[in-house]
Amino acid sequence: MASAQQEQWGTKLGVILAVAGSAVGLGNFLRFPGQAAANGGGAFLIPYFAALLLLGIPIGWAEWAMGRYGGKKGFHSAPGIMGLMARNSAGRYLGVIGVLIPLGVSFYYVFIEAWTFGYFLKFLTGGVGIDVSAPIADQAATASAFYNSFTGTAQDGVLFTGDSKLTIISWIIVFTLNIFFVFRGLSKGIEKFCSYAMPAMAVLAVIVLVRVLTLGTPDPNLPDQNVVNGLGYMWNPNYSKLGDFQTWLAAAGQIFFSLSVGFGVIINYASYMKRNDDVALSGLTASATNELFEVGFGGMITLTAAFVFLGVSGTTAAVATGSFGLGFSTLPVVFAHMGPIGNMVGAAWFFMLFLAAITSSLSMYQPAVALLKESLGWSHQKATAGIAALGTIGAILTLWFTQGGAFWSTVDFWVGTYLIFIMAGVQIIYFAWVFGIDRGWKEIHNGASIQIPPVFKFIMKYVAPVYLIIVFVGFTVQNLAASVRASWASTGSRVGMITIGATLLFLILVVRSGQARWRREGRDLNDTQPAD
Amino acid sequence: MTAAGWVTMIIALVVVWGGVIWCFRKVLETPQEEKAPPGFGA
Repeated sequence: MASAQQEQWGTKLGVILAVAGSAVGLGNFLRFPGQAAANGGGAFLIPYFAALLLLGIPIGWAEWAMGRYGGKKGFHSAPGIMGLMARNSAGRYLGVIGVLIPLGVSFYYVFIEAWTFGYFLKFLTGGVGIDVSAPIADQAATASAFYNSFTGTAQDGVLFTGDSKLTIISWIIVFTLNIFFVFRGLSKGIEKFCSYAMPAMAVLAVIVLVRVLTLGTPDPNLPDQNVVNGLGYMWNPNYSKLGDFQTWLAAAGQIFFSLSVGFGVIINYASYMKRNDDVALSGLTASATNELFEVGFGGMITLTAAFVFLGVSGTTAAVATGSFGLGFSTLPVVFAHMGPIGNMVGAAWFFMLFLAAITSSLSMYQPAVALLKESLGWSHQKATAGIAALGTIGAILTLWFTQGGAFWSTVDFWVGTYLIFIMAGVQIIYFAWVFGIDRGWKEIHNGASIQIPPVFKFIMKYVAPVYLIIVFVGFTVQNLAASVRASWASTGSRVGMITIGATLLFLILVVRSGQARWRREGRDLNDTQPAD
Repeated sequence: MTAAGWVTMIIALVVVWGGVIWCFRKVLETPQEEKAPPGFGA
């Protein structure tokens, strides 16, 4: 028995833009170019597109189909939907991961989103104080000092006790915006916002791209530092890297995290579709949109801009600082060199990143809101207030334990990285092997306006799970031991682990309560009756 | 930028721009299901 009044998306395009908005984030603009440049440049695109076809898109289709199927039975939370797939309680408890991931990630993601908003405000009002007549090392030091101060990385509690309150103010603004749009509901809030934000993001990306591609050779004394060589830095292929397992691992990881598969959002968003809405084309379109922002914009803008002002060594050093170093320490130096319009280009860039971040963070609250509503019978307003309260607790911890980024990087590793592999693996195995690939294939094509090539049936059943296991094992071997040590190395990281445990326990109790409630209501929680 | 770099970049851009244009054209060509008027349930 489905609930009498279910939330639904207003339009087909609405759900596509919302899922694409969830997928397009800071990683598209900051992580992808760094990964590509460090792993073979243009040659990286071969394992990258292989992972897209063999891992990202097939698991995405499974997730879309599972979500819509769950919605037909009145379930919108990952535990409810995974219980249907598995036909038992184990599926429901494993489904808790699909709520823990987006909720846990939201704790620190909104903090990082506040950086983009704060930087946008700074560039709108004159930049971060870089003196372009100073030696380049001093400029980089100024940008780094601002970044460290803004993110409070020197010391726990400094964002509350320090002189500048811009970070806290930025966080309050972006968190309030998030809760406001989630509170307004799926169609009037998230869908409406994404329907404006996604085109706006594309327009801003085009503006910044055009500016970067027309930079020419800014310093005639350094003729090699030009746009064409900047593009070459990113795109010249180094095919020898294809023989390195690390390149294939990095490409699969990039695809995986970029598309938001296994994140718990697609399964939730798809559950609000109408029973015959097209999931095959919607899934493909959302993935294609993500790829446009990642390859078409991220791959063209970020490193090209850095190269023309910083050259080979400066850009390589910037890539080595990681995504955040590249985005928040290096690019401010680049914008400062763009002359009178540099601050406006910087403001456009950071506002674009802010839109990318907020369309992602909005999607992180909805799965938990859905769980509270259907497990505890809460109203949308009450559930949103509950998640706002949890989000505030998580955010206060993130804002306080800033030293070395230990708190949020611990939550990011375990919840925002490791559990995603597990969730995606559980999902594709339940879908292809328990729900059944024949039934699943039929479900994907129900209402579809495209026919997926039959080879994908084989890919979903065999190739994607095996590919995923190989990547997961490779990732574990490479990262687990060091991450386990780091997780207990500081107060911030220990608090991060406790936060994960407490949130997990809370969600398990909610699912336990929900399961009892669904049984009392006589709902088909083990999928014993046909959906149609 | 090497010739191989140009070729790789152009192919990648054609794939991602072509893919997104094809998908959105297909989405917009497909008729939108009419929304039930209020009061008729979901």
